[in-house]
Amino acid sequence: MKFLRFLRLPTISDLGSILKVGPTAWGIAICLGVVAVGARYVSTYPLTILISLLVFAALAYSMNFITGLTGYVSFGHVVFMGLGAYAWGGVVGTFHWSPLGSVVIGGTVGLLFALGLGAVTLRFRGVYFAIASLVTALAAGNIILAIPALGGGQGIVLNLGFEPLSQFYTIWLILAIEVGLTYWVTHGRIGYGLRAIKGDEDAAKTLGIDVTRLKLFVFGLSGLFAGAVGSVNAWTVSGVFPEAAFALLFSLLMLAMVIVGGSGTFSGPLVGAVVVYIPHTYFLTVASGAEFIVIGAMVTFIALVVPEGIVGSIRRYIPILRGILE
Amino acid sequence: MPDASAIVDQLVFGVVYGLLLGCVFALLAHGLNLIWGIAKVVNIAHGEFIMLGAYGAFFLNLSLGFNPLQSAAIDAVIGLAVGLAFYFGVLHRELRGKEAMTPRSEMVTLVATFGLSLLIANAAKIAWTGDLVGIPWSAGSVSLGSLRIPMGGVYVAILSVAIIFLTHVFFTRTHLGLAIRAYSQDIPAAQLQGINPTFVSAFGTSLGFAATMAGGAFLTVMFPTGINPYMGALYAPISYVIVVLGGPGKMWGSLVGGLTLGVILHVGQVFLDSSIAAAIAFLTLIPVLIFRPEGILR
Amino acid sequence: MRLALVASGIHKHFGGVRALRGVSLSLTEGEIVGLIGPNGSGKSTLLNVISGVEKPTAGTVTLDGRRIDGKPSHRIAGWGVVKTHQIPKPFLGMTSRENVTVAALFGSRRMADVRQASEEASSVLRLVGLEAKAETLASNLTVQDRKRLELARVIATGARILLLDEVFAGLSAGELREAIELFARIQEKLGVGVLVVEHVMRAVLTLSQRVVVIEEGRKIAEGTPQEVVRDPAVIEAYLGTEAARAAT
Repeated sequence: MKFLRFLRLPTISDLGSILKVGPTAWGIAICLGVVAVGARYVSTYPLTILISLLVFAALAYSMNFITGLTGYVSFGHVVFMGLGAYAWGGVVGTFHWSPLGSVVIGGTVGLLFALGLGAVTLRFRGVYFAIASLVTALAAGNIILAIPALGGGQGIVLNLGFEPLSQFYTIWLILAIEVGLTYWVTHGRIGYGLRAIKGDEDAAKTLGIDVTRLKLFVFGLSGLFAGAVGSVNAWTVSGVFPEAAFALLFSLLMLAMVIVGGSGTFSGPLVGAVVVYIPHTYFLTVASGAEFIVIGAMVTFIALVVPEGIVGSIRRYIPILRGILE
Repeated sequence: MPDASAIVDQLVFGVVYGLLLGCVFALLAHGLNLIWGIAKVVNIAHGEFIMLGAYGAFFLNLSLGFNPLQSAAIDAVIGLAVGLAFYFGVLHRELRGKEAMTPRSEMVTLVATFGLSLLIANAAKIAWTGDLVGIPWSAGSVSLGSLRIPMGGVYVAILSVAIIFLTHVFFTRTHLGLAIRAYSQDIPAAQLQGINPTFVSAFGTSLGFAATMAGGAFLTVMFPTGINPYMGALYAPISYVIVVLGGPGKMWGSLVGGLTLGVILHVGQVFLDSSIAAAIAFLTLIPVLIFRPEGILR
Repeated sequence: MRLALVASGIHKHFGGVRALRGVSLSLTEGEIVGLIGPNGSGKSTLLNVISGVEKPTAGTVTLDGRRIDGKPSHRIAGWGVVKTHQIPKPFLGMTSRENVTVAALFGSRRMADVRQASEEASSVLRLVGLEAKAETLASNLTVQDRKRLELARVIATGARILLLDEVFAGLSAGELREAIELFARIQEKLGVGVLVVEHVMRAVLTLSQRVVVIEEGRKIAEGTPQEVVRDPAVIEAYLGTEAARAAT
């Protein structure tokens, strides 16, 4: 991968420039720091809520790579979560590997599948890519259901100990890495390339951008993280269940978060995650299904009226904040 | 040793039923195709309108005793109105004044209809609960050798094909239909001839919704007990695959694609696990997109 | 070392349509060659073949002896041959500067540092006269400015051979004069090779050192602008046999 030429060892001046990252990055870093420290002191129930929120945020960031930044709407993104979860469940259940370490396996499976799928589907334009991704997720879910070794309809049930703190730090770490990578991508050369692809893919090609390689790179990244998060998700329920692992629900939530927060922005996925999480959790116990009325209305409104999402719109209509909020 | 004649019977039944089902699928896909081909919009909320058509048939049956065939006609009329409302409420803002679909418009309509699908499916769930409901109606069955073919299925299959055929006639034999078709195939040139683009897109959309909702009512005949708010998630992907197989915008494409998929799904169920059959049916999309993106039909 | 582009015996068929029937053309870095011909003669197709957007049905395109026909367009851009679009295709969601920064980051320069690329973008925008609109969103640019932006992008890639597809079209007389002057200045400063496909005769004949005329996919004349304008085959192609006879 040629872009590796642009990765070099960190120097002192890099340390200096890390300190110059800008208020949004600082804001997010501080939030993450507070949450990391505070986790030790909260009781179990709020901790599980926090874990859930971080899962949402991590999914949003993973989706942001391919949909927000590059403009490829992936309806079937949940397939990476599901495959990652099954890989995780497989090694934990069969080989009794540590659930924490196995998250890496889940991520790897997500990455590999994304690269494989992407090689085939990323050549399709917009709408066709969206439908192809949807169809792949459905097919994968169906195929897994039919394989008895993977537990069929029952899934894989594991009897793991309840370790919310480990789960928390795992998902926190995944999110932190994603945030860092997103920052690097949006502020660097790759970010410009992705925005060019999103703007006009043909023009991007004529300017020398290796569109295929770039798309595959971000698609792989998003598959990697989705797979890792899927594993953590399975860890929190101590099992892998096909309807849940491949539930289109996740795809829909991921997409909603990215759109609501602001496609292709640095803080958009986080904002979107919080904004979507609130109705999701609130209505879960009150009237299941109602949260999607709210979320669906938000998505429709944003798509038609303010397609840049919350963060994008703030940046567009309040220019003073443009330097601060990314 | 498995009874060979029983297997043959099952196969024949699978094919016949698959064809009948395929006709209804074709109508559903046709509705999607009309909007896709004429207004150039891919309606992600397509499944939800199938669902509304099915519920329409359910409520009409419950309150007024209409059978699904009658309800389909009413659904079609409602669909025309809903389609117009949908066009002007959702699509017009983005499409107005545009000469061709830009990638951005594509995204916007994709995402907006996505939001609507979430909204409509779950509003239905809150309003009507998630319980499965069905319509107790049967038109009897006819015997074909050792097989019993449900007449209801035959009726809806014939009606579905008839509707598709009628729209085909409209678009190839009537002046208005030809004008609309010319417009949707080459926008700038047709615009020069004074065809109103808004009219064309609105027309296509409302026709598409009429077909979709009528198809939803027909579906209740094939699946009498399966009506629920989330059924769209089941039938929409089938429609997308059919449209791509047959070729977006191609009038007969939905029929060819629908029959193909109906048979694959149903015959597949006979010999393979139903999940595997579904997976195979869905995955046919990918090779078609790679090798013949315009669809199987030439 | 001056880059030499040679297109040799290019045929391009689209199904039954033969857009190019054996066209040969050469261009060296530093010279301006005009490519003219009636509508539908295959000019844009030839540009597409050279830049890698299309693959030739037959024939070769070489750059300093190395074959580039059939290679992907981003690769060819990386080697220094870049094409503009007849209808400008700016990245609408980005500002002018960002548009040009993309070009500087990729293309044949492949700059690694965004800040440097951005500065380079500023100087290119100044070169084409767009510095006042550097922070304007491309979607808010006029058609004229978009053409300049298109040019700026191509320049910023570091291209040594530019393929310009009808950049002078649709300009008023005053704008045309300005554009020709601007172009001459740029060419003087950068010394790149340019293949200019044009309908606007004044621009081509003023700027080119050499002109190639194609009609119906074949080359019918080549020479200095003065020679070509008087060539009966050229006159006939544009104005018909009567005019050709009248001219000789």
